[in-house]
Amino acid sequence: MRKQFVLGLVVAISAAIVPAVSMEASSAAAKKPAPVNYATCASLAACGGMDALVKAAQKEGTINLVTLPRGWANYGEAMDLFHKAFGIKIVDDNPDGSSAYEINAIETAPQSKKPDWVDVGITYAQNNENLFAAYKVVNFKDIPTKFSNPDGRWTSDYAGEIALIYPLGLPKTPTSLAGLTDPAFKGMVAIGGDPTSAQESLMSVFAANMASGGAPDDVSKGIAWFSNMKKIGNFVTVPATPANFASGAYKIGLTWNYNCPDAIATSAKAGVKIQCAIPSDAQLVGTPYIAAIPANAPHPAAARLWNEFMYSQNNKGFLTATLPSTSGKTGSAIFNSIMGGQNIWVSGGAVPTMAVALAAKGMLNDPPASVLPAKGTPVTPTVSQQNAAKALLATEWPKVLSN
Amino acid sequence: MIEKTAAPATKVAEGRSLFLKGDSVPIALLPFFAFVTFFLLWPISDVLIKSLKGNSGEWTLSNFEPMTHGIYLTAFQTSIELGLITAFIGAVVGAFFAFVIENYAGRKLTAVLDSISAVFANSGGVPLAFMFIASFGANSAVIRILRGMGLDLYANGFSLFSLTGVAFVYSFFQIPLMVLVFKPALKGLRKEWREASMSLGGSNWDFIRRIAVPVLFPSFFGSMLLLFAGGFSAYATARAMTVGNVPLVPLIIGTLVDGNVIANKANQGAALAVGMILVAVIAMTGYVWAQRTTSKWQAR
Repeated sequence: MRKQFVLGLVVAISAAIVPAVSMEASSAAAKKPAPVNYATCASLAACGGMDALVKAAQKEGTINLVTLPRGWANYGEAMDLFHKAFGIKIVDDNPDGSSAYEINAIETAPQSKKPDWVDVGITYAQNNENLFAAYKVVNFKDIPTKFSNPDGRWTSDYAGEIALIYPLGLPKTPTSLAGLTDPAFKGMVAIGGDPTSAQESLMSVFAANMASGGAPDDVSKGIAWFSNMKKIGNFVTVPATPANFASGAYKIGLTWNYNCPDAIATSAKAGVKIQCAIPSDAQLVGTPYIAAIPANAPHPAAARLWNEFMYSQNNKGFLTATLPSTSGKTGSAIFNSIMGGQNIWVSGGAVPTMAVALAAKGMLNDPPASVLPAKGTPVTPTVSQQNAAKALLATEWPKVLSN
Repeated sequence: MIEKTAAPATKVAEGRSLFLKGDSVPIALLPFFAFVTFFLLWPISDVLIKSLKGNSGEWTLSNFEPMTHGIYLTAFQTSIELGLITAFIGAVVGAFFAFVIENYAGRKLTAVLDSISAVFANSGGVPLAFMFIASFGANSAVIRILRGMGLDLYANGFSLFSLTGVAFVYSFFQIPLMVLVFKPALKGLRKEWREASMSLGGSNWDFIRRIAVPVLFPSFFGSMLLLFAGGFSAYATARAMTVGNVPLVPLIIGTLVDGNVIANKANQGAALAVGMILVAVIAMTGYVWAQRTTSKWQAR
């Protein structure tokens, strides 16, 4: 009874408010629109619509992106397409930098060099929420709420899955993590870096833990797996970088699957055939990376346009190579004609944050054949599970591997 | 070369004339002072202030507490161990090379060896690490040749990607650095002293024990401290060779201030840096003492 009464009250109140709001909106539209403040407008509508946003962004002329490697999740295509479509210059400072660098740049870089858009690890977004502007993209409702801020200050953008990357022609083909203990792989297996410093390596430990039957609450089985791999001589503690691969210091790496398409293409140019596979005993999808627009962005309109672009869903649009001249077209016509950012991430092997919504609409393109995920239910460690793992790794990792 | 390195130390030792005698500070030194301010004094004070602050900006000593136990303490031990081992190897081998070059090499050969030493002593970082990975990694040329000859280093416990391996790589710049800084001291060991010792009936051994070693020891010790400071604080080489398996303080600081994983411990990194500065100050105090003692023998 009481519940019904409350519900009735809510309905009555909203019924009273809604017409008032829409009346206000229509009277505002009748008057001359106030100039838009692009540094604070929190949605496309508030920013004056797509045509106005594109115009404002083109007037700014530049967008400062930081630490986006071209080969990473196909950012190279996204940047080229954005530049060609809108004629906005892209400055990609320190492409191989870290999340900590991005936050530092927001806080300390001179105004004209500050980043307009960042792609950071989730703890960096959570810890620095006040640095970011609230902005909800048009498709905001399709972003899962799990790893996003409800005001749109920071939102999950894409995630990767841990994959094995190896050259063709090994004595055996690696298919699982458990199988890497085979003596055939002696001195061959490496990870990208220190798991207390590189997210990819942290997730590699979670993957090893999963393959060893551990739950993500406690990664000690994963650490033990690496310890054993070191003991039998299969794990080499050299960072899995392209240079170290070329020198033969390791053969099989654990990496994000969205690094695979570019790595495969680059190696093919050098005459080395490599391939990727998701380990059959560990389907580990990482915590998504987080996109955010700094509140003090020097090019706020370009930042918002880029954000709309990376979250746009078009699955059939033009790519850089096919895009015809856009001169004379309206901003919204250009925007609607190009491939959506979500499907560009797909083409790079990443899982875009709207994957579920896109699949439901039949708008999710197929990922590249080189990184097709294995069958199974992927696991994503929560932030608190990751924090527990970091605390354990800080003390245990050097200990088990130092000898 | 030693005159050059000794000069600032002796200035300090003679003391204060720069400011107290009323000499005007030469304008020419202004860029130097600007350099020192921007790249030494400012960063040090910044690090010091950060190390004393918590994440919400409050003053605290809590960043120093974790250094007294656990992984950070282990890291200091490992870093100091690495510094000492590479300084010792570098000093002993380098002093031997310096002795051989000084006494047996002709003028031209000496010049060539000096330049080579200067180049090697200044190589470091990622390129150096890559040189060794390409030569001494698990599937590298040298290791495969040795394997072909029946000596499998990796099967016998050697790994380039370990503390031993890092120490091995550091020797590559430590030994030539020792040659550079120690050779001038050998030059200071006058022929006349040997002749004097002989003429007083001293044997070769007497000369070494009573004259050469006491005269050379301070500069040997000072050079070793210089090498220690280098090995203790090197970052990029070790970073390019390891994945967190060798806990070194500079690497941990890198993880804390510039990682992708740990987001809220930059001030902890600053506290570790202050710890490193303390160790370096102790080593450099010893170095200044050694230089002062050395200059006693080399003053004309």
